[in-house]
Amino acid sequence: MTEPLTLHTRTTPAGTVIELTGDLDHHTTPQVRSALPSLDLRPGQQLVIDLGGITFCDSTGISTLIAARNHALSANATIALAAVPDRMSHIIRVVGLDQVFPTHLTAEDAEAAWHPTPG
Amino acid sequence: MMPRTGDEEQGGPTGERAQFSALLEDSAEDLYEHAPCGYLSTLLDGRIAKINTTLLDWLGYRRDDLVGSWHFSDLLTVGGRLYHETHFMPLLRMQGEISGIALELKAADGSRLPVLVTSTVKTGGDGQPLLIRTTLFDARDRRAYETELLRARQEADRERERLQTLATTLQRTLLPPTLVNVPGLDVSVHYHIASVDEVGGDFYDLFPLTEGTWGMFLGDVCGKGAAAAAVTSLARYTLRAAAVYDPDPAAVLANLNTVLHHEYNGTEPRFCTVVFGLLTPDGDQGGFRVTLASGGHPPALLMRADGTADYLPTPGGQLIGVLPDAHIATTSLRLDPGDTLLLHTDGLTEAHTAITGDKDRYGDDALLGFARVLAPTTATHTVTAIRDLLNTFGTGVDDDTAVLAINVPRPPSEEQQ
Amino acid sequence: MDVLVRNHVRVSGRSGGPVVVLAHGFGCDQNMWRLVVPMLEREFTVVLFDHVGAGKSDLSAWSRGQYSTLEKYADDVLAVCRELVLGPVTFVGHSVSAMMGVLASVQEPEAFAGLVLLAPSPCFIDDPLTGYRGGFSAADVEELLESLDANYLGWSGAMAPLIMGNPERPELGKELTNSFCRTDPDIARVFARVTFLSDNRADLAAVTVPTLVAQCSSDAIAPPEVGTFVHTQIPGSRLVTLNAIGHCPQLAAPEETAAAITAFARDAG
Repeated sequence: MTEPLTLHTRTTPAGTVIELTGDLDHHTTPQVRSALPSLDLRPGQQLVIDLGGITFCDSTGISTLIAARNHALSANATIALAAVPDRMSHIIRVVGLDQVFPTHLTAEDAEAAWHPTPG
Repeated sequence: MMPRTGDEEQGGPTGERAQFSALLEDSAEDLYEHAPCGYLSTLLDGRIAKINTTLLDWLGYRRDDLVGSWHFSDLLTVGGRLYHETHFMPLLRMQGEISGIALELKAADGSRLPVLVTSTVKTGGDGQPLLIRTTLFDARDRRAYETELLRARQEADRERERLQTLATTLQRTLLPPTLVNVPGLDVSVHYHIASVDEVGGDFYDLFPLTEGTWGMFLGDVCGKGAAAAAVTSLARYTLRAAAVYDPDPAAVLANLNTVLHHEYNGTEPRFCTVVFGLLTPDGDQGGFRVTLASGGHPPALLMRADGTADYLPTPGGQLIGVLPDAHIATTSLRLDPGDTLLLHTDGLTEAHTAITGDKDRYGDDALLGFARVLAPTTATHTVTAIRDLLNTFGTGVDDDTAVLAINVPRPPSEEQQ
Repeated sequence: MDVLVRNHVRVSGRSGGPVVVLAHGFGCDQNMWRLVVPMLEREFTVVLFDHVGAGKSDLSAWSRGQYSTLEKYADDVLAVCRELVLGPVTFVGHSVSAMMGVLASVQEPEAFAGLVLLAPSPCFIDDPLTGYRGGFSAADVEELLESLDANYLGWSGAMAPLIMGNPERPELGKELTNSFCRTDPDIARVFARVTFLSDNRADLAAVTVPTLVAQCSSDAIAPPEVGTFVHTQIPGSRLVTLNAIGHCPQLAAPEETAAAITAFARDAG
């Protein structure tokens, strides 16, 4: 029943953008987890997760977003979500993570909102 | 290495030529008789008209024993004969051919030879069927392999049963065997196991605290399996202990957050969402004061005595275990006689409904509508109705689901109205 | 319980016409009749059903305990007839189902206008004491039952190739090739026991409804002399020997089979 997840990474001056398409559930999250360590994130940069293509997300999907956040924070970078589908944004609100993840309509908006932190 | 001689240089191509001419002289007749498979031609009534030496050798019969008098089905074991009559021949007639059928032949010495049989009907110029041509392949190796496969499958079945028993037992240890009786409160719970193969991560409890107060909780650990079960176990015991230490619901969840965050901080974050409630009897009229704290959990549902129903939002409450200072949201209410409070995990609202199909989930709005139809209700009735609802979803419930309902019964005089 | 759902009963053909009930034999389902049904539908109300445990019957209605005798299957036949309220019917029973018709008609003769016993066998096992030849030795049947008991790849494995589609013959239809004679191996085992261990020779003499015995000219499962035996035991019965060969004349020679049923049912109904 799971839709395969595809993961596409690109680099912008603001940092890394991960585009996810498909189902983000316990079948597919290991794929995202294993991609995290190889991301090139420099201090002050921003990791953007573009969720525009997500068709389903369960609690393990949410925990993957948290893992990504932990990864960004440990690199002294920040994290933002882009193009969050309604259903997912509902889940994020219920679990109270809307206060933790800045969200933007598009990845470009996220990039535009980024300001290099001094130092 | 042998030194090469002039002879051999000449001999190579000559030898090859000899081989080719041997091939050319290989008569069709000889190929038929000694092919590496059995050949058999029968009349339409199954009488054997022609049979090759390979097959005769396999079976230990002489040609004269069989041709003209025996039927193909006479060579089969009784099960095979039955199968031949009821399936093989009807399908051969219908399709003109049938292939890869596993049957057993009876050899002259009484032994059994497993074979794979393929038959085609040869037709004349006018399309009328004339005879049946059959090839038979020795399937002893395949049969041995199948037997091994069968044994392995039976063993796997047994292992799977064992695993399921283990998972179910573990699941049971994570849930209270019975809930305590709270005077003046009707309580009902249900735990729906979505998969018997994996331990789910939902949990609940209801237990006495000091001086006529009770604690209750219901939660959902992210993920499934043994790792999730470990978190469930930790969460459950931490909640019980924390409630004794400081029964304030927000404090209980804050303590749980500290414990889980300490234990599971890193690249494999483990979290749970949970509602913790403190119940205190309130006044002589019956009724309870309820304080609920939520850590990122779907809101509780209140079905009132007057037939209305609403969610009790706890906005801003954050999931437990991943943020160092998770925010806990609280809400308070009075549960009057006839009111029913329902806590649930999102296995219910995330279930695929049978009607809407694959991608559509039951959802919060549908649950609210369901509650509005139910209200006014009782705990027992609510849980029964949800069990029925889950049953209509069938396999659409792909996550475990826990529901806990509490209700202050109306005084008997009112109930009769 | 809804008997019509339980037995996946299908009624078609000329409404108001004489009623023909077609009962499939061991290891198959009502699909077995599909070639003769169109020929019968012109003149008769045709009733098809699956025995409980076969085809699209309600498998949850099956239990080893209940369905361990042919009498239970005969009761089901009567229940289907009662439920349909179509009056006396001509019952066509193939193979082991022929004996279900015999038992049902002895129990409730008024429910039947006639019986067509197609490739019938009242007893598959030879009886050396009476000289009866059923076509199978006791050892044969024992081997059959053992092979069904011991090996769950056995029959079901052998049937698996049938379940695969046949792209060259689209007229067979996916639905049909997918369901043709597919049987739950556990149920098949129990039904095999019922089929091959039953001995209903003594019941034949009690049949009072008009009966046609239709046997094939060559049949490895119910040899011609078994048909002759059935004919001599049922008082006043008629015997026809079809040119068809094999045990399933309704598939091998549908026209001839339908013609025999039609001629008899026309008189009986």
